[in-house]
Amino acid sequence: MSRVVVIGAGLAGLVAANRLAEVGVQVVLLHKGLGGLQLGQGTIDVFGYAPERVFNPIKAVGSVATTHPYTAIGGKAVLTGLDYLKKLLPELLLGDPESNYQLPTAVGAIRPTCLAQPSMIAGHVTDGAKLVIVGIRGLKDFQPQLIAENLARTPLPDGGRLRARHLWVDVPARDGEIDSSGLTYARAFDDEDFRVRFAKAVVDQLREDEIVGLPAVLGLKDLHAWRDLAGKLAHRVFEIPLPPPSVPGLRLTEALTARALAAGVRIVPGVRTVRYASSGDRVTSVTTAAGLGGRGYAADAFLLATGGFESGALNLDSHQVVRETLFDLPLAGLDQTPLIHGEYWGPEQPLFKVGVAVNPKMQAVDAAGIPVFANLYAAGGIIAGASGWTEKSGDGIALASAIVAAAAISKELA
Amino acid sequence: MNSEGLEFAGHALSRASLDSCVKCTICETQCPVAAVTPLFTGPKFVGPQAERFRDGESVDHSLDYCSSCGICTLVCPQGVQIAELNSQARAVMKADHMPLRDRLIGQTVLMGTLMTPVAPLARAVLNNKPLRKVMEVVVGVHADAPMPPPQSQTFESWFAKRATPAGPFPRGAVVFFHGCAGGYFEVETSKKSVEVLERLGFEVLVPKQGCCGLAQQSNGLFKQASASVLKLCDDLRSAGKDLTIISSSGSCTGMLKHEASEIMGVEDERLRDVGTRTRDIMEFLLDLHEAGELPTDFAPVEMTVPYHAPCQLKSQGIGKPALEVLRLIPGLTVVDSNATCCGIAGTYGLKKEKYEVAQAVGKPLFDMVKATSSELALCDTETCRWQIEQSSGVKTEHPIWMIHKAYGLS
Repeated sequence: MSRVVVIGAGLAGLVAANRLAEVGVQVVLLHKGLGGLQLGQGTIDVFGYAPERVFNPIKAVGSVATTHPYTAIGGKAVLTGLDYLKKLLPELLLGDPESNYQLPTAVGAIRPTCLAQPSMIAGHVTDGAKLVIVGIRGLKDFQPQLIAENLARTPLPDGGRLRARHLWVDVPARDGEIDSSGLTYARAFDDEDFRVRFAKAVVDQLREDEIVGLPAVLGLKDLHAWRDLAGKLAHRVFEIPLPPPSVPGLRLTEALTARALAAGVRIVPGVRTVRYASSGDRVTSVTTAAGLGGRGYAADAFLLATGGFESGALNLDSHQVVRETLFDLPLAGLDQTPLIHGEYWGPEQPLFKVGVAVNPKMQAVDAAGIPVFANLYAAGGIIAGASGWTEKSGDGIALASAIVAAAAISKELA
Repeated sequence: MNSEGLEFAGHALSRASLDSCVKCTICETQCPVAAVTPLFTGPKFVGPQAERFRDGESVDHSLDYCSSCGICTLVCPQGVQIAELNSQARAVMKADHMPLRDRLIGQTVLMGTLMTPVAPLARAVLNNKPLRKVMEVVVGVHADAPMPPPQSQTFESWFAKRATPAGPFPRGAVVFFHGCAGGYFEVETSKKSVEVLERLGFEVLVPKQGCCGLAQQSNGLFKQASASVLKLCDDLRSAGKDLTIISSSGSCTGMLKHEASEIMGVEDERLRDVGTRTRDIMEFLLDLHEAGELPTDFAPVEMTVPYHAPCQLKSQGIGKPALEVLRLIPGLTVVDSNATCCGIAGTYGLKKEKYEVAQAVGKPLFDMVKATSSELALCDTETCRWQIEQSSGVKTEHPIWMIHKAYGLS
């Protein structure tokens, strides 16, 4: 049986590992820590700003510059990826590739995203809606007044307005703690008794037709906790994602990891991959820094899904030299000068578009477009040409590049 | 603060990694202790954050509630050695007032030496509720905590007295490292490991060997633990150069592979030599399998068993090799617990003030074990097996038992 080593456990690594395992490939997933997926909002951004607010994300994917990763990836793979995730995680992701949700954030801004969790979509802003944002005294990362007042003063993306007010409740997540994390609250919401107590504290303060905005802590393991709470309140409710620990991000990470394990993916956590060996135009093995000696993993193909600067996959040294830290791959985007301008609040830093160039199979290529190794592929944040967090395109790039890379690898190994 | 280990703990390696912390909270989401009690404020607060304020004295005594399971280090995407930092800070914090109990429960060889000759008596004492209550009050070991099962014969004695195996041993020699628990308490596991290795065609050498010092290290007794681990390296090296060292004591292999160097700063050629040659037995079998050298003529075992990978095995960065090897046995369905920790964390769950926390940590695992099988569970390390068995009521053995059975050896 063919074997593939996937390096990285973010959205790209997990999706690729699942796709490969599903077609019978033996997959070893190496990661040096959990991926950024669980730090995110638990949604799938495809295109949010181009640079103006995007309403139809798949249309925006088709209109990018040739240097943008979506050019090599293609809109078809984005559609395949979105469809795949919705079918794989029907209790966690909903949405339409042709229409972004516009969802309230924890500072009361309105954020475009393509797929969102069912627990969030009642928050999609509409003209004339009446919102009440409920804060919990023990949860300091969620300030309902800030959210409500900002939402109420903001013209909606389609020109309308909504009304929003706030209220507070004081329901401790557990005894002996006055300052609980969102995660501790999420674990409390997994328990029906807690939901009963919480609903009791809220329900009499609600007014007719109000949609209830709550911090995104409505259950971690119990994916129906939010629906149960809505029933108890007899109102529509929606979750607003918080800064990390992000409960919706955790739900996605745990679901994709559980799927991968069930599909037979062998996950080796907590190891940095530090070296590789090659023969001719092929990578033959990689070595992790486990223990005093390290461990080697031979495979037929390798997928680099290690992320960017934030995860250490790319490194900038004090001589302004940028490197890809595992394979020392040739990098694209270094011709932009200066790489870092001095204006902190100025335009986007060109440095963040530096990365590995790929061809339409997601093989890592050099400046001439020739694959560096025939069996080395790249997916996700390591790919050059986009700033995922300003465009809100990082999830879509990770998802679709993983779909393309997994397909190319399984075709190559077949 | 006069021993080298503590000096290292106060200043070196792991401390240097704390600046890599970006406060992402990933460690907090995985910590099994913070999940069940507000007494522990979580690995991020106690580790990289509190460490900045420590200058000899600890600013946060909730540190003592860290069980050192190590999951935080394993999941940190920035390479911060959170668990190591915490183990070091705890050793420094306890240095001038180390409780008698914490000195005693690190004495694993002493315990084995005392109990083996009087095994039936020792068993009776450890199962006697009133006596255990006295022990809880006097020594601070919880009356309901799992205790090692005393055996009448040590592994060493069995190995010396048994009929010399006929061989042949076409694959050459390997060294077997049994560890204290494998020498005195989990004697069957050690025997079965040796028999499987011999079945595979290896000559098994067992040099006289001492303790790796892990229990002392986890209780902050770095000076004693450093001496123990180096003595053990000498013992294991005495069997021959360049031989693979194999152990069915999953936590002791971790001490040799990385904990002695990363937590206590033991920099010694002998440790480097032994650490790079050491393999957990299931890791070794998986290596053989991947090289196409593991016979898979296993007899079918029609059974469904829960398997739990212990923290100290996971910390070795080898994934879950037992799971891969067990899945080669026809008929056998192995269900991964996917639980973080059983709660015992070496000696943590024995302590009277930690017992309830440890039970709460392990509860999802105990429930999973009970729901999966009433007959048998599998786990690679001794104290975890004792904990799972005690708290779930399901007999718990090392995965090598299943390999031994499937090879027709039992």
